[in-house]
Amino acid sequence: MAIFEQGDVKIDVDEDGFMEEPDQWNEKVAVALASTEGVDELSEDHWKLINYLREYYAKFGIAPMIRKLCKETGFPLKKVYEMFPSGPAKGACKVAGLAKPTGCV
Amino acid sequence: MKKNKLKISDFSKESDQLVHIDPKDFIPLPPPYDKIEDEPIWKEIKPEYRETHECTLDDTVAVGIPKPKTPEEEKELVDKFVSGLRKLFEKENNWTFLQQLMLSLEHCAKCQTCVDACPIYEASGKNDLYRPTYRSEIWRRIVKKYVQKKPFSSFTDGDIDLNWTTVARLIELSYRCTICRRCAQTCPVGVDNALITHELRKVFSQEMGIAAKEIHEKGSVLQLKVGSSTGMNSEVVKDNIDFIDEDMTDITGIEVKSKWDVKGADLMLIHNAGEIIAWPENPGAFAIILEAAGINWTMSSEAVAYDGINYGLWYDDVQLARVAIKHAQAAKKLGVKKIVVGECGHAHKALTVIADRVLVGDLNVPRESAMTLLEDIVFSGKIKFDPSRNDFPVTLHDPCNMVRLMGIVEPQRRILRYLCPQFREMTPHGVHNYCCGGGSGFAIMSAHNFTNWRVAVSGRKKFKQILDAYSDCPGPETKKYLCAPCSNCKGQIRDIFQYYNAKEKSNLIYGGLVELIVNAMVDVKPGFISWEDAF
Repeated sequence: MAIFEQGDVKIDVDEDGFMEEPDQWNEKVAVALASTEGVDELSEDHWKLINYLREYYAKFGIAPMIRKLCKETGFPLKKVYEMFPSGPAKGACKVAGLAKPTGCV
Repeated sequence: MKKNKLKISDFSKESDQLVHIDPKDFIPLPPPYDKIEDEPIWKEIKPEYRETHECTLDDTVAVGIPKPKTPEEEKELVDKFVSGLRKLFEKENNWTFLQQLMLSLEHCAKCQTCVDACPIYEASGKNDLYRPTYRSEIWRRIVKKYVQKKPFSSFTDGDIDLNWTTVARLIELSYRCTICRRCAQTCPVGVDNALITHELRKVFSQEMGIAAKEIHEKGSVLQLKVGSSTGMNSEVVKDNIDFIDEDMTDITGIEVKSKWDVKGADLMLIHNAGEIIAWPENPGAFAIILEAAGINWTMSSEAVAYDGINYGLWYDDVQLARVAIKHAQAAKKLGVKKIVVGECGHAHKALTVIADRVLVGDLNVPRESAMTLLEDIVFSGKIKFDPSRNDFPVTLHDPCNMVRLMGIVEPQRRILRYLCPQFREMTPHGVHNYCCGGGSGFAIMSAHNFTNWRVAVSGRKKFKQILDAYSDCPGPETKKYLCAPCSNCKGQIRDIFQYYNAKEKSNLIYGGLVELIVNAMVDVKPGFISWEDAF
């Protein structure tokens, strides 16, 4: 476990920079985590994706299937990669404060 | 010229780092991947992590045990290791693997034939650390001197100093082998270096509580607790399959309805649950094929049984047994005639081979590979195919567990020869094929810079082999498909392709076998496999 600090954001993260305590997430945290993913500014589309991920996570306790995410947000996978260069799991989920996906995914 | 000459004695001597990995030493990849300067730069292990964790083996870290704070802690690690090793040689504690292990302990002729068979050793530029025999020889000397306490073993079998550094490095080194068993296959005597890797990991996990987090804490422990290593409980998995059914119905124009908990079904299909999350077209394609063939099939919504993974296979016999028993119990409860294992190599080995040692009596439900079932279906005449829909170059990756270990070589090939006009083999292939580089859990391990290592080093030989199979059409103008009927291999191949930007540079995509079958079905809307949507 490590501590990620940027400005007044201070959170516990794992070796890959995923949040250890998703409850500590807020919009400032998202902005700070996005900067570690090469995303300097969070657009409306970014927030739409982040909010979808958070709502799904709150309901089911895991990240959604990538295909479901694309269908329900209307973003093709290519667009998700444009928004989050590390992709939906390693990029978008991290910024949305989800724990790192587990298993053979 | 080899730069480093690593001695066994170097292993136990404390130093900043035992060996370095230099991309200049790597075997070259074909163009346009041949420029060393284009190799992605490795992520650095953070200095604060290095200070507090064991990172002195090579340029990466897989387990990263905390450094000891006191001499007592140092001693404790060494003592626990020796007592754990002792158990490996007791029949009551290791009846599963004792015989093969004794053979591997006593009969290595040090001929080094196995060394050239190892894709990690070769791809790294013949780094001595990765010789299959280097790890085994350290283990062998420790066993002779500290476990068997053989008189004068330092002279007869070679000396080794056993201290904290030795054990800590050995923990890491046991996670630099994919357990592909290419070395075991080539050994003239039958010594199994991969088994030694496995047995080392087993001592670390079962006796010392040390294992890679992704396969233990976030893997088999999570599977036994929640029902799946993906974190899906029974409700979520059903919800996801509902979604896949709807999605597949849209895409194929055929009404798809997956089956749950059908009592007395002819077969119970177990997927690697990672497919459901990351490659939904795979379970979707299975459902389409089984329905079209009129098979009375089902899946189980019982916790653990809807996830075919059994990570214990790679590191812990107890975890393996716990999961295998759950799989068999679910099948028994439904009263199905057999279990069919989906496209997952390690699940094949775990449930159909190794589990034989724990599934006794009526738990010994018949188990079959999806490969033979699919062959029967494809050639049954029940489904109409148009192979011209698959008229693009296709090559086949052989998952080690399914092919080298179990000898399931031809069923998938007969399907591909029939349905894919441009099918071509890799060199070598079948039981001699190379591991994807993600075996034994590596495909899901990515902490620190482990992805760099498992792609650029352990996956390198595979990537080269894949590219070579398309040497007649390397450019992006030709759409190409790599068939990899294994979830773990797919995860690794996805990461290799992404790392080297292979979709863009070579128009290369990957997927399973069932996707190719569905893509060729006359009743399905054309274009089930799409290069545009692949990413």
